[in-house]
Amino acid sequence: MSRPTAVSPPRPGRLVVVRTPRGVWVGWRGGAKFFAPVAAEAAAAATAHEDVRAPMTGRIVKVAVAAGEKVAKDDLVVILEAMKMEYRLTAPRAGTIGEIRCRNGDLVDLGATLVVLEARAEGSHGEGADDSGGGALP
Amino acid sequence: MVKKTSRVRKEPTPRRPPESHAGMKVLVANRGEIACRILKTLREMGIPSVAIHADVESEAPHVMLADEAVPIGEPNNYLDAGLIVRACRARGVTAVHPGYGYLSQNAGFARACGEAGITFIGPSPETMEVLGDKRAARRAAEECGVPVVPGELECDTLEAVRAAAAGVGLPVLIKAAGGGGGKGMRLVRRREEIAEAFAAARREAVSSFADGRLVVEKFVSPARHVEVQVLGDGRNAVALGERECSLQRRYQKVIEEGPSTGVTDTTRRALLAAAVRLARHARYTSAGTVEFLIGPDGAHHFLEVNTRLQVEHPVTEALLGLDIVRAQVEIARGGALPQPPPPRGHAIEARLYAEDPARGFLPTGGRVLSLDWPHHPGVRIDSGIRQESEVLPFFDPLLAKLIAWGEDREQARRRLIEALREMTLLGVVTNQAFLLQVLTSDLFVEGRTFTTTLESTPWREPEVPEEAREAARRALASRTRIDGTGHADPYSPWDPAEGRGAPA
Repeated sequence: MSRPTAVSPPRPGRLVVVRTPRGVWVGWRGGAKFFAPVAAEAAAAATAHEDVRAPMTGRIVKVAVAAGEKVAKDDLVVILEAMKMEYRLTAPRAGTIGEIRCRNGDLVDLGATLVVLEARAEGSHGEGADDSGGGALP
Repeated sequence: MVKKTSRVRKEPTPRRPPESHAGMKVLVANRGEIACRILKTLREMGIPSVAIHADVESEAPHVMLADEAVPIGEPNNYLDAGLIVRACRARGVTAVHPGYGYLSQNAGFARACGEAGITFIGPSPETMEVLGDKRAARRAAEECGVPVVPGELECDTLEAVRAAAAGVGLPVLIKAAGGGGGKGMRLVRRREEIAEAFAAARREAVSSFADGRLVVEKFVSPARHVEVQVLGDGRNAVALGERECSLQRRYQKVIEEGPSTGVTDTTRRALLAAAVRLARHARYTSAGTVEFLIGPDGAHHFLEVNTRLQVEHPVTEALLGLDIVRAQVEIARGGALPQPPPPRGHAIEARLYAEDPARGFLPTGGRVLSLDWPHHPGVRIDSGIRQESEVLPFFDPLLAKLIAWGEDREQARRRLIEALREMTLLGVVTNQAFLLQVLTSDLFVEGRTFTTTLESTPWREPEVPEEAREAARRALASRTRIDGTGHADPYSPWDPAEGRGAPA
């Protein structure tokens, strides 16, 4: 992986910009954000929204759904334990559960697809690309 | 007091002999910001120090601050008491400081240290066993006449939890009897939630403390969480004032301050006296914290004792001008209990976590690409990271603590806000903007801080300044050109236009 390049030196009160291979970090007075290029953002939106992924490295405590099951947005899908705390991973949208790629007790890596969410249910279009931890640029 | 002071020759303040720590060598059985903080005091005291580190963090800041470092392999090995005791023996260590978390409240570790002839800088294993156990601690509190939250102590089965919930009345908290820190704790508001909450609390209790015993307590709300810092030497104990830590998420504290805005002088005196009674009763040695809930009626209830140095101890240090770690070291080598000076002014601490408010506060990670802390009057920063640090998922997401002191609460608040605005941390998503949102809210300004405040107040995604978007656009657009030529960003205010040559 190539090293990120500092574009401007840290300067309190001013913008600080650091490029990485995946995009750009910008810091301003009181905040910071990662910006991905539009294409990457769109790709992330297209794929990540289809699955429930591990938001961090951890251990699967419980898979709460079965393949073929219909879920509504925010329904519990998986309980993941990390740093001794349990996190409830919910469906990002309504749909049907496809392949289940983890089992109770599995150790999973950050970003691993845990459960595939298939077939968009009607009326759930127009979700913003809010999954990358950063912002899309017009 | 004897009124003969005019006849008594005034003795000069006794000075510490400079060689009093000779022969001491301390291993810090922790990592991150707290290991750094402890190691700095050891340096100042001239005590040789040993750090331990997982193989993945051999260049972590705490390793650099110690005189010696011992690799321990896997990240989980910070919990391996036997391994750490062996490291102590191998390095001729005389005392261990456990920090917080990990083995800090593990009586077995304290005992193993003692058996190996190593001083555990903390309470005795016996004290830890009594106070670290929610059941025994509640009994001890009751014996000292300290009021406790209504509840049931023996709730190890679903039936017992159901009965307890019916007995004290919903809502209730299910808690792990064998530990704290929000692990193994579940709030139950409705009857139908009991089964799932019981199962989850039990799982967390077993995985965190290897102890599935549970207790049920009445959920007091709206409540303030106010705690008293104590120091004891096994015979006597002193209280170092209180801290209010009501602002929590998932039972993890986010912002702490002292003095509390929510207690009257009468309540404060009662809290301090209760904490000292309990510490004396438990023959408490070293630093500890007695936690209380203040209910809506102003009544206080004992919650638990944290038998260790706490994350938020710098609030007290700022108010008293006292180094609590130094006090712990001196007590451990048989020194006198310090006479606490009266608190002065106000102090507020904000915890900077590697977590993403926009994604349900899930832990984040990554490499720290740019890091700059402000150096402002009255601001202290306890950090465990530096530029290029890798924030890894197997460690606590606390990156740093920013502590501001002021003559009054408003000055402390403004200083903390200024520090949080001025800091720069790129590469890891943090709760920086969330902390600013809380500190600038009317709720905080007015001191309306309760344990449920943060979770019932919606997080607003902060505005990204247009200049920031514009800078991102330019940087993204110019990526290939810059990478190809080695020139710095042509839009940077720092570039040749301002007389700084492009980097070679």
